[in-house]
Amino acid sequence: MTTLTRQDLNFGQVVADVLCEFLEVAVHLILYVREVYPVGIFQKRKKYNVPVQMSCHPELNQYIQDTLHCVKPLLEKGGGGGVWVTRFWSRGFLFLQNDVEKVVVVILDKEHRPVEKFVFEITQPPLLSISSDSLLSHVEQLLRAFILKISVCDAVLDHNPPGCTFTVLVHTREAATRNMEKIQVIKDFPWILADEQDVHMHDPRLIPLKTMTSDILKMQLYVEERAHKSS
Amino acid sequence: MADQLYLENIDEFVTDQNKIVTYKWLSYTLGVHVNQAKQMLYDYVERKRKENSGAQLHVTYLVSGSLIQNGHSCHKVAVVREDKLEAVKSKLAVTASIHVYSIQKAMLKDSGPLFNTDYDILKSNLQNCSKFSAIQCAAAVPRAAAESSSSEKCEQSSLQVSSETPANNELTTNGHSPPTSKQIFQQPKGIMGMFASKAASKTQDANKETKTETKEVSSTGNKPPGKGNVMSNFFGKAAMNKLKVNLDSEQAVKEEKIVEQPPVSVTEPKLAAPTGLKKSSKKAEPVKMQQKEKKRGKRAELSDDETKETENMKKKRRRIKLPESDSSEDEVIPDSPGDYEAESPSPPPPPSPPPEPVPKTEPEPPSFKSSSGEKRKRKRVLKSKTFVDDEGCIVTEKVYESESCTDSEEELKMKTSVHRPSTMIVKKEPKEERKVPKKGTAALGKANRQVSITGFFQRK
Repeated sequence: MTTLTRQDLNFGQVVADVLCEFLEVAVHLILYVREVYPVGIFQKRKKYNVPVQMSCHPELNQYIQDTLHCVKPLLEKGGGGGVWVTRFWSRGFLFLQNDVEKVVVVILDKEHRPVEKFVFEITQPPLLSISSDSLLSHVEQLLRAFILKISVCDAVLDHNPPGCTFTVLVHTREAATRNMEKIQVIKDFPWILADEQDVHMHDPRLIPLKTMTSDILKMQLYVEERAHKSS
Repeated sequence: MADQLYLENIDEFVTDQNKIVTYKWLSYTLGVHVNQAKQMLYDYVERKRKENSGAQLHVTYLVSGSLIQNGHSCHKVAVVREDKLEAVKSKLAVTASIHVYSIQKAMLKDSGPLFNTDYDILKSNLQNCSKFSAIQCAAAVPRAAAESSSSEKCEQSSLQVSSETPANNELTTNGHSPPTSKQIFQQPKGIMGMFASKAASKTQDANKETKTETKEVSSTGNKPPGKGNVMSNFFGKAAMNKLKVNLDSEQAVKEEKIVEQPPVSVTEPKLAAPTGLKKSSKKAEPVKMQQKEKKRGKRAELSDDETKETENMKKKRRRIKLPESDSSEDEVIPDSPGDYEAESPSPPPPPSPPPEPVPKTEPEPPSFKSSSGEKRKRKRVLKSKTFVDDEGCIVTEKVYESESCTDSEEELKMKTSVHRPSTMIVKKEPKEERKVPKKGTAALGKANRQVSITGFFQRK
């Protein structure tokens, strides 16, 4: 991330960058904590001055990075609606927009039915300001708290059945077809509209994890869990 | 009962909030010494296990002792999970101390969250991080300049390397410190031994060898925790933490980020405070504006009622008062009524003209009031005119003028203008008026009383 002076500080870019970095770390951490992939592919890295687990698998990393790379320009702009997902190795990718309602990391069982959903509800406060010098360190502290909460979410969730995969859904506010097509052409990364079966979970249990409010970002994380996971 | 409160606190943190409760975090949160925090955690674990309530607790322990490796004896400090505790203990030749490190509901896969838990609370308590610590050094004082300390650090670390005996271990994993013979002594093994061991280790904390240890390891302590495999980091993490605390307490930390953190942590709470203040002040302003407007309206109404009462009292003194000068109401100083009158700072006119406007004002209010509706009319209005009289004094006089206006405007004008004649009377007839105006003002005072400054509290 390049250093920006005060003059050329593009506020939308800052928020998009912060959010994308965080979501990358969060996705990796969820995959680690929920044992979607074997522990061996993860290594300890440092983010926000604390140790976090990130995967070493190159294709998985590339996949997540490409997803977020596509998404970042949309985050800065705003507008978009519908639920988007892509299928790639039975996994999904992340699609974010400025007016996105939520980003959901869905863990699917062998039958491709959702077992758990980690929902990141994202809003931006109406008056955005980056006037304070300590703003980013304050945001960093809040994101650290999110990381910590994801690390201990094991305590409140049931074990997942073996052989799970993951996908990512994004709920946006308005139709974003035009933007999506542009991005697809530019980045050569396919996006499709989500199926109902990926979205709908039968009789979910809601477990709130963490909420944060800051000058640039408001985010809430909760988990929707299927009542009977192994059935 | 204070004894039971901490148990409830820990229960709330662990069970309800699903937090990781480390002894260090607990010590800062409850404001107790670290040893007390360790005892609290131990007590909590014992009770919970006895109750067998079903809520599963995962406990980590800090184990330290001497270890013989590759023929060398070294001191090992490790944070271990409960299931690995016995295995690690058995490897140690002498177990120096064991105590509870943390309690949490979740089974932790690695030591990262333990560090994360302590990070923020330590950062916010950086200035007094040794306040509850068992590790003290009287010689540790803050340095004057950070630059001189960084150069000195390099010198000292090279000195330490040269002076270290062959007993120094050559292990590359984090957290393994060189041997300190004084710290190794026979301790009763088992969990109960940790109380005795901690009491004894306190006396040795003034040992200078700890200082040399930390200086030597400070260079290695700065490495990120990613070195080595996961398990060794899990072991070594606590030692790194412990040594890091030593560094902080001795004010010998050279890392830039830690130097930067105190100002950052101080400004963060300030962030919240000014924004809070701004918001509250903005809200207060419109409320005050509304209150002032209400005040004015009420004053005008009251003065209107009073004109009828004082109709027949020609020598009644009326004053136009400022909103703040509520207390001066009863103080009648006939010599200088002009001081009270802020609107027309003029010397008093001769007594003859003043009585005239007074009777003139009498018929006016009723007639003005009797008119109904808000029609445009041509009316005679009392207006004040300022001019210089024969004596060379600037005189303000009430003169009637015809003017077209609506009824509401007329009434308001009448109410405000009747005040003026009374002030002019007083100056030339000080003695006679003294008592009468007093009564008048006293009577006026209650009915025409200025709304007190606290009035807006009642008016909700």
